[in-house]
Amino acid sequence: MSYLDNIRNFSIIAHIDHGKSTLADRLIEKTGLVEARDMKEQYLDNMDIERERGITIKLQTTRLEYKGKDGKEYILNLIDTPGHVDFNYEVSRSLAACDGAVLVVDATQGVEAQTLGNVYLALDEDLEILPVLNKMDLDSARPDDARAEIEDIIGLDASEAPEISAKTGMGIDEMLEKLVEVIPPPKGDPEGRLKALIFDSYYDSYKGVIIYTRIFDGRVKRGDVIRMMNTGKQYEVTEVGYCIPRTLPADELKAGEVGYICGSIKQVADARVGDTITLASAPADAPLKGYKKAQSMVYCGIFPAEGEKYENVKDALEKLQVNDAAFNFEPENSAALGYGFRCGFLGLLHMDVITERLAREFDLDVITTLPSVVYKVVMKDGTVLDIQNPSNLPNPVDIAHIEEPIVKADIMTPNEYVGSIMALCQNRRGNMIHMEYLTKTRVQLHYEMPLNEVIYDFFDALKSRTRGYASLDYEFLRYQPAKLVKLDILLNRELIDALSTIVPEEEAMAKGRGICEKLKDIIPRHQFEVPIQAAIGQKIIARETVRAYRKDVLAKCYGGDVSRKKKLLEKQKAGKKRMRQFGTVTVPQEAFTEVLKLDDGR
Amino acid sequence: MTELDKKTGLYIHFPFCVRKCNYCAFLSFSADEGVRREYAGALMREIELAGRSFSGQISTIYLGGGTPSVMDVSLLSLIIKKVRQCFDVAPDAEITNEANPGTLGIKDRVVRAKLTAYKYMGINRLSMGVQSMDNDRLHMLGRIHTAENVVRDFDIARELGFDNINLDLIFSVPGESTEDALDDAKKIIALGPEHISCYSLQLEEGTPFYEMAERGEITEVADEEDRGTYHRICGLLRSSGYEHYEISNFAREGRRSRHNSLYWNMDDYIGLGLGASGFTRGVRYRNTSDLSTYLAYYGGQDADGAEWTTERPLDEIHENTDFDNISEAVFTGLRRTEGITYEEALAAYGMSPQKDAAEQFWKIFRDAEDEAKRFADQGLLIIDDAGLRLTEEGIDISNSIMSLFV
Repeated sequence: MSYLDNIRNFSIIAHIDHGKSTLADRLIEKTGLVEARDMKEQYLDNMDIERERGITIKLQTTRLEYKGKDGKEYILNLIDTPGHVDFNYEVSRSLAACDGAVLVVDATQGVEAQTLGNVYLALDEDLEILPVLNKMDLDSARPDDARAEIEDIIGLDASEAPEISAKTGMGIDEMLEKLVEVIPPPKGDPEGRLKALIFDSYYDSYKGVIIYTRIFDGRVKRGDVIRMMNTGKQYEVTEVGYCIPRTLPADELKAGEVGYICGSIKQVADARVGDTITLASAPADAPLKGYKKAQSMVYCGIFPAEGEKYENVKDALEKLQVNDAAFNFEPENSAALGYGFRCGFLGLLHMDVITERLAREFDLDVITTLPSVVYKVVMKDGTVLDIQNPSNLPNPVDIAHIEEPIVKADIMTPNEYVGSIMALCQNRRGNMIHMEYLTKTRVQLHYEMPLNEVIYDFFDALKSRTRGYASLDYEFLRYQPAKLVKLDILLNRELIDALSTIVPEEEAMAKGRGICEKLKDIIPRHQFEVPIQAAIGQKIIARETVRAYRKDVLAKCYGGDVSRKKKLLEKQKAGKKRMRQFGTVTVPQEAFTEVLKLDDGR
Repeated sequence: MTELDKKTGLYIHFPFCVRKCNYCAFLSFSADEGVRREYAGALMREIELAGRSFSGQISTIYLGGGTPSVMDVSLLSLIIKKVRQCFDVAPDAEITNEANPGTLGIKDRVVRAKLTAYKYMGINRLSMGVQSMDNDRLHMLGRIHTAENVVRDFDIARELGFDNINLDLIFSVPGESTEDALDDAKKIIALGPEHISCYSLQLEEGTPFYEMAERGEITEVADEEDRGTYHRICGLLRSSGYEHYEISNFAREGRRSRHNSLYWNMDDYIGLGLGASGFTRGVRYRNTSDLSTYLAYYGGQDADGAEWTTERPLDEIHENTDFDNISEAVFTGLRRTEGITYEEALAAYGMSPQKDAAEQFWKIFRDAEDEAKRFADQGLLIIDDAGLRLTEEGIDISNSIMSLFV
């Protein structure tokens, strides 16, 4: 009997909030690798932002030991997957490292669009799937409905799906038994040529990049020279080991195993997720399939705020990039905001995560501009330009046409919200492809929509219209010609380039009005009137005025008031620091990102 | 300058009121005679301790509140006696008592008796919280007196020879028009006080007015109207012979409040009593606001033989840096219509007079210079060879200007 028979490599697939992290915690607790007292709530989600949003962005992989009822000692490698559509590719590579997956379905909620998206990814990787019904401790659990949904929507037999509560620990033992039974052991030839899949990596200041890998064939140990088959880069291995989840050095990693490799690699971009590791001395014939370079879908400008140093921002962005191959940036210059950076992200969440990390981990004061997608601008002379910064849009007279990215958006919802979702999508230039009833009460809507419409606040709008019940999954489809114009904003008659956007021609008027109204609320009153204007070229299409304010004075300042007043003035000064001065007009930083969060009730 | 020839004020807080006014965020509450007596005892102990650690002369005394006039005359006289025992009070010291109409007494006889007692104690200035001369508005503000009480109390004070009286006025009370406010001001001017303080009503968190505004029961007067009223009142008072010398303060010639001026001149003041603030030897402090803590410390054994040190119960203590001093000098100085001179500011910074004072000043506030000039260009601030001062329009947005210097 091979050592492979005792290994199980699996992921947990779940919709946000369906209890993936709680289940992972419970498994870690049960299988004893981390003492219960060391457990942080939700072990796998270790980044603050992830914890707050209840989602996983950076992966954690952990090795569990489980003694089965058959008396055998199993090694369970739990490979985590990020839980958001922005990180679809990363999910697919994590799944590719597995032989099976546990599908967690919230018995109170049923199947959701993202679950489905990830299940499809798992099926594409030919994984065995073990459905599990979670939150069975709640009175509102409807296990039979959930089971029926799994069978109807996903086509999996759920009759024997373990009923568990990750929160209370109920049913976990049965689930582990079922897991070793259903999920097959890995296949692989330890004597073959090394083929190892990178499914995650992060930068450690002592060891350099730590690569998380699944070995498919062959073995790797300290001293070996490895080669990344897609990027061609070579490194000498300094350490290999298991993830428990902290790194635990081992002599070697061999086929079927999951662990980590270090080789003094300076940035994660040199060990890209999806790449295949082989030995330089005896390379494999071909890499594993599925490698893809991360593609930025959303761009925005990041500028140092008043009083913040350009160099500090640059250093921080470089540090973030070391750990995030999907994030890229280049210098940019704005007339309004000065020197800064144009940054590319996988999606809006990815962007939020990066900008929040700049504030929290690096304590930086930055201004982020409106997110933009990449437009293909076809010029009259036939050249095609990629434009991701509205200010760079060439003169309209030279443009033949503009193409914008279209995504395929799948929305799953209880049927009573179909009407309002359709209205929302219509508003967002969505084109319905078809609609299907998954069950009597659950509907899936398939739309084609401009990515531009999705990146602003589509997800929030969707959630608010469906009391949180609808779920969304989207992926890039194609570029498509559209009638688009550049909408400029002028404050006190000065053009603010960082507020320019590209919008559909027929919506320019409404958008311009909306932006002006929003800015009117955001921009503080000055001692003079501030006209806010929206313009297309030379033509003003909307106007609002921020009325002059008249009163900012403290009537009394006697003995006890001096300290209090000083604090007040200091606060006022600090608040001003978060503002940006344009000529005589002061604009709060959030104006640049808040301005397009227009409610669809408009 | 040594402590001996410095002007030092003494502020004594009386946290008691008959009832709390709807706009009031000060430290005050109602208390029975027993508590007042206990408080007086503790206060006298604090006066003793403070006096022991101070060697200079006291140029002004201010009895504030709360409502000091709620304090029993017998207790008040003991307290003032104690002050004279423990401190060297200048013969010409300005001694102010806040005497609110309605608290001096209901019968003329009582008012007369109380004011006579004040006079006998050496109180030579009265500050009366009139607030309005309209009974409906007084009711809305939560005041306990009427316009008739004001006239009566004022007349009696005059009869008794009080020749330095301040009357407080509040404008921009919800529902009050500019004309209403001017009407109030005219009635107050007609009484002919030496000093008038005129405050734009501010809705402070934690007050009934604030809650009412939150619930939408009252509407704050719009900024434009409030400022319009303010400027009209300033004009009216000036033409009636009152000098506008601080944002909210007006006085006949030679009748500025000497005590309150200390606060805007960075002079020292000792704060005594519950929650009182002081600024001595470059240290700002505030006494505990907790009555039982205060009473336990000064009424108990703890204070026996103790020095008036930082060991005493304080809510706040902060040793000013040179920059703290200059920035406070600037923003309090800018409250005065004459503004602040570079020399005064630099003196607060610990620098001796020099001829390139302006240059030195702007070196310290390099970050503020451009914006300050912008305010000057807009006619809100005057920057000249001697220093800075706000224009009357500049007062309206004075916080934005002052915040450049903190």
